[in-house]
Amino acid sequence: MAAIRIAVDIGGTFTDLQILNEETGAADAHKVPTTPADPSEGLIAGILEASDRFGFALADIRAIMHGTTIATNAVLERKLPDGALLMTEGFTDVLEIGRHFRSVVYANKAEERALLIPRSRRYPIGERLRADGSVERALDVESVRAAARKAAEAGAKAIAICLLHAYANPEHELAAARIVQEELPDAYVSCSHAVSPEIREFERASTTVLNALLMPVVKTYLSKLRGRLSDTGIAAPVYLVQSNGGVTTPETAGEQPARLLLSGPAGGARAAEVLSAELGIGNLIAVDMGGTSYDVSIVDSGAIRLVTEGKVDGLPVRLPMIEIRTIGAGGGSIARVDETGRLYVGPESAGATPGPVSYGRGGTQPAVTDANVALGRIDPDFFLGGAMTLDVDGARKALSKKVARPLALEDGPAADGIVAIATTHMASAIRLSLFEKGLDPTDFALISFGGAGGLHACDTAAEIGATRVVFPRDPGTLSAWGMLFSDVVHDIARSRLMRAEAANLGEVQSLIAEMKADGQEALARDGIPEGERSYPVTLDLRYPGQAYEIGVPFDGDLAATVTAFHDAHDKQYAHAERHVTPEIVTLRMAATGRLSKPAARPFEGGKEVSVKARRPVRLAGAIRETAIVDRETLGPGAELAGPAIIEEAHSTLLIPPGWRLTVHPSGALIAEGDTA
Amino acid sequence: MSAPELDPVQVEIIRNALVAAAEEMGVTIWRTSRSSVVRDLLDYSTCVFDADGGAVGQSTAIPMHLNSMPSCLAEILANHIPIEEWEDGDIIITNDPYAGGQHLSDIQTFKPVFHEGKRIAIAGVLVHHLDVGGGAAGSYDPSATEIQQEGFRIPPLKIAERGKRNEAVVKLLLRNTREPANVGGDFASQLAALETGTANLKRVVKRYGPELLSAAMARIQDQSEAAMRAMIRDVPDGVYTFEDFLDDDGIDRDIQRRIAVKLTIAGDGMEIDLTGSSPQAKGPVNCTLAMSYSAAMCGVLMSLGTEIPANAGCYRPATVKAPLGTVVNCRAPAPVANRMAVGHRVVNAVMGAFHQAIPGRIPAAYYGVSYATSMNCIHEDGSRQVYFDLECGGWGGHPDEDGASGFSCGLHNISNAPIEMLENSLPIQFQEYGLVPDSGGKGRTRGGLGLARAYRLEAPSGVFAANLDRFKVRPYGLAGGEPGQPGRLTVTRAASGETEDLPSKVSSVPAVKGDVFRLQTAGGGGYGDPAERGEAAKAADRENGYTRA
Repeated sequence: MAAIRIAVDIGGTFTDLQILNEETGAADAHKVPTTPADPSEGLIAGILEASDRFGFALADIRAIMHGTTIATNAVLERKLPDGALLMTEGFTDVLEIGRHFRSVVYANKAEERALLIPRSRRYPIGERLRADGSVERALDVESVRAAARKAAEAGAKAIAICLLHAYANPEHELAAARIVQEELPDAYVSCSHAVSPEIREFERASTTVLNALLMPVVKTYLSKLRGRLSDTGIAAPVYLVQSNGGVTTPETAGEQPARLLLSGPAGGARAAEVLSAELGIGNLIAVDMGGTSYDVSIVDSGAIRLVTEGKVDGLPVRLPMIEIRTIGAGGGSIARVDETGRLYVGPESAGATPGPVSYGRGGTQPAVTDANVALGRIDPDFFLGGAMTLDVDGARKALSKKVARPLALEDGPAADGIVAIATTHMASAIRLSLFEKGLDPTDFALISFGGAGGLHACDTAAEIGATRVVFPRDPGTLSAWGMLFSDVVHDIARSRLMRAEAANLGEVQSLIAEMKADGQEALARDGIPEGERSYPVTLDLRYPGQAYEIGVPFDGDLAATVTAFHDAHDKQYAHAERHVTPEIVTLRMAATGRLSKPAARPFEGGKEVSVKARRPVRLAGAIRETAIVDRETLGPGAELAGPAIIEEAHSTLLIPPGWRLTVHPSGALIAEGDTA
Repeated sequence: MSAPELDPVQVEIIRNALVAAAEEMGVTIWRTSRSSVVRDLLDYSTCVFDADGGAVGQSTAIPMHLNSMPSCLAEILANHIPIEEWEDGDIIITNDPYAGGQHLSDIQTFKPVFHEGKRIAIAGVLVHHLDVGGGAAGSYDPSATEIQQEGFRIPPLKIAERGKRNEAVVKLLLRNTREPANVGGDFASQLAALETGTANLKRVVKRYGPELLSAAMARIQDQSEAAMRAMIRDVPDGVYTFEDFLDDDGIDRDIQRRIAVKLTIAGDGMEIDLTGSSPQAKGPVNCTLAMSYSAAMCGVLMSLGTEIPANAGCYRPATVKAPLGTVVNCRAPAPVANRMAVGHRVVNAVMGAFHQAIPGRIPAAYYGVSYATSMNCIHEDGSRQVYFDLECGGWGGHPDEDGASGFSCGLHNISNAPIEMLENSLPIQFQEYGLVPDSGGKGRTRGGLGLARAYRLEAPSGVFAANLDRFKVRPYGLAGGEPGQPGRLTVTRAASGETEDLPSKVSSVPAVKGDVFRLQTAGGGGYGDPAERGEAAKAADRENGYTRA
């Protein structure tokens, strides 16, 4: 009897599956259409199809790793219940005021700022804690009852409670939550100290509100999923992918649904981290180019970078998550010429509908994909593995009319130009991403996934001075593949502002003991055996007066952590104040339950490169007969020199002249170029 | 002049490279600056110029820096250090408002970039420094009546010559600041950013060659000029006037200062004439012409509401005139540290003039003041801690929608400080932080609401100061809309329990433990006849308590 682990990544169009045989290490990919009304339907369909196709029994499934954008979509599409917010009297407008900073500098109309709970459903609570958690004004129980009743009258189903300094003392929030539950037994209640126990009232309130509103959404989905699984006869445990790259149980996800927000890039980033180890390349820039956006994340010395806050629809989510920089550049990015003769590429996108002109769905503005089609880089009959035939003529005509003629260029150079400009945008995003962390792009290799990225990866690498590009196997389902390697992670935090000095070591240790007790309880609930649990701690430190912190690992030796902070500050900000004692803002624990890891996946393929066709492709300003190679035929040991086009099911790769391609034993392709 | 054979693709690629150079200079400052003021308030800007000093690309988050460096560089080249004297390895520095600057805290540095012995570009970096001396910490002294009281003045000079830094000048400057470690660190970061820019520009010229780079730089400016002219052409020809007022300069408390704008649109060009504005003030609210120019151009870009890549080309179709000796073009030695006061009003007045020209596109007045307050908290043992705070108010009602409440607008762009952070590090305890009902001007679309922020001093004693405005002259409404409610500052004394009003510009207000200081900021003006406001909007306002009537 085989042991099967399945990862399911539900995207907007497709539900991607990776099916891993835990004993042999072999992984297979499968895709089914997403069922937006109830995504669990597509998930079940995918598992059943895969079980037929790859021949395993449903009883063989040991675990299902589930990536879902259900929480994110509910926020973006405002499919949320009415909620209420209970906040310390005098501060109920904090949620609406936000942080003041605007992103459109010369706007005469303010940018849209999402507000999930209107002023009429924000209620003052009589109480006040001081910064150290001590009570200045005791909780006014009647104010909580009054708020609960008003919330019920207003039809609120989800109640968020966020009191000032509750991260330092949860007693008032706990008492208020008990009263609210007494008054409203059916309401979903979320307290800030439990969701995001961190200093900074606006960010904590925002995270708590999101969490409360998502509870019914996620709980409903998970109960449907549970029903469908048991109806189908699947008994395996399900784990949900979180934005920190780890997974969690449905029970925790139902109580802490904010942790699922922004989990979209988690699988891909995790895959990059695994590949970094597999390939022995510590520094990777993971780029995911799709139809509308270009996502950049960084693997630095073998580890993916996390940040402590992200945003969804402009709303802060104060929880650990994978760091990602997104710009509006993709295959659908539109090229246009303005009245002054300036050529723009993006950030406007044709999206999936109508899409680029070559999709033949009514698009009239030429996009980056159209330029690639006109240059001969994409086989019009083999797009998406032949699933779609492209309108080459339409693309050429649109390019000629909308770009080449207004600029008085020949069609070829105009298409070259669009691709070159898109490449500089992507290269700038990568450079800034690294530069602001004090990292040098020439120390990195690029790893490219996403449908549109393969044609631009080598040129983008050259632009930033990187000489290596990795094309992993099955880039279309790589995100699902990454999920196979996830561990169970519970993020636990305590905010206490104190100097990082020996006198405070006792308090640090007792806070860590508290967090560890929480972590042990959570992991025990998840059924993780003792031997597979770990409790790494980081301290968020800063010099007094700074507004941002740097997270530094802590293993009990405070002096070593302080030294590491100075070093990290020096690396990131080019100076350190070694005579200054930094302060601790937040203590963090990632209570981790290790799940067994699949073995390296074997890969078989031919050593000999078989060229399936040659066709004229415009490269470096000239049309050349270029070899077209089927990726499936490239096995470890195979080598080829650019120019070449590699075709695979959902993507096309371009190996420019001057680049050489080898195949890693894992099946990843590695292109190396000479960059002056 | 642009080379006719210039490839538009290359122009765009070079443009991206130059913008990236400016951005990477900005990242260098953000990444390496020492004082949290620079990094958290993003009070710096970077610029790439062509070989003759024409701005090609700028990077800043703060509109008041718009065009600050180009004005200064033009003045340096015209009257101080002609371009022929700029050599490879030189760095030119100044902070002199009377040499093209805005106020002494902004130190500007410029470095020519050479390729094969020929100057091909200039990199520029401006950083707001924490303290440049003068009569008060932070170099903002509300009682100053001469620039000499505001800090040290650096005339345009070479801080580095042919690669050799003039350490004597650096020492002199650092000896005259209250914050030598921070200012020294930030200055090192400023010079590092110039190096980042230089390296980037050298990379670009190496790749494209000096001729192509120079032609592309010219074309980039021409394109912005053409875009600007096209936008001006859409504004009907005519002469449009508007005026707005400043409460006072903090010294002559009964004199309001007029800011008058005469906007002339003629074809694809425009002139903003500030003649008729009040004579320069005794107190430090004055603007140099460079500052007025930045404020006026901010008003223009906000009015036209379109993004144009800001460079020398944008400024060609627009001239700004102001008679010497006025609050909008002050004569030395007038003090200028609070130039933002008049600057905000210039933006308000320029937008008011545009409303005459293109009604239906311009919002009513925003709050129009950087609400700066400070409390010097004095502990039992005599040690001190300064709490400095910046706030904002409501936006004017826009023809299409209500104004935003409590959000940065116009010349500045700030973040507030979290209350929990402040209470953790300072002896203060907040009482309130919220929207002020009924503070938005009534109109078909309502002005955004102002904010109330109140705290209690917990230290034995303290000294309070404020630098505010719009207590008397309210943010105007447009098209029949009513003005927003004015700001207000009060202190409720612990001893007597009595509340007293404070003027908008005060310093040295004594405070003791338990005193509560409360700031209320102005709401934005309303747009359109209040009688035309829809019933649904009125009901929503009442339901949410934005209005109480």
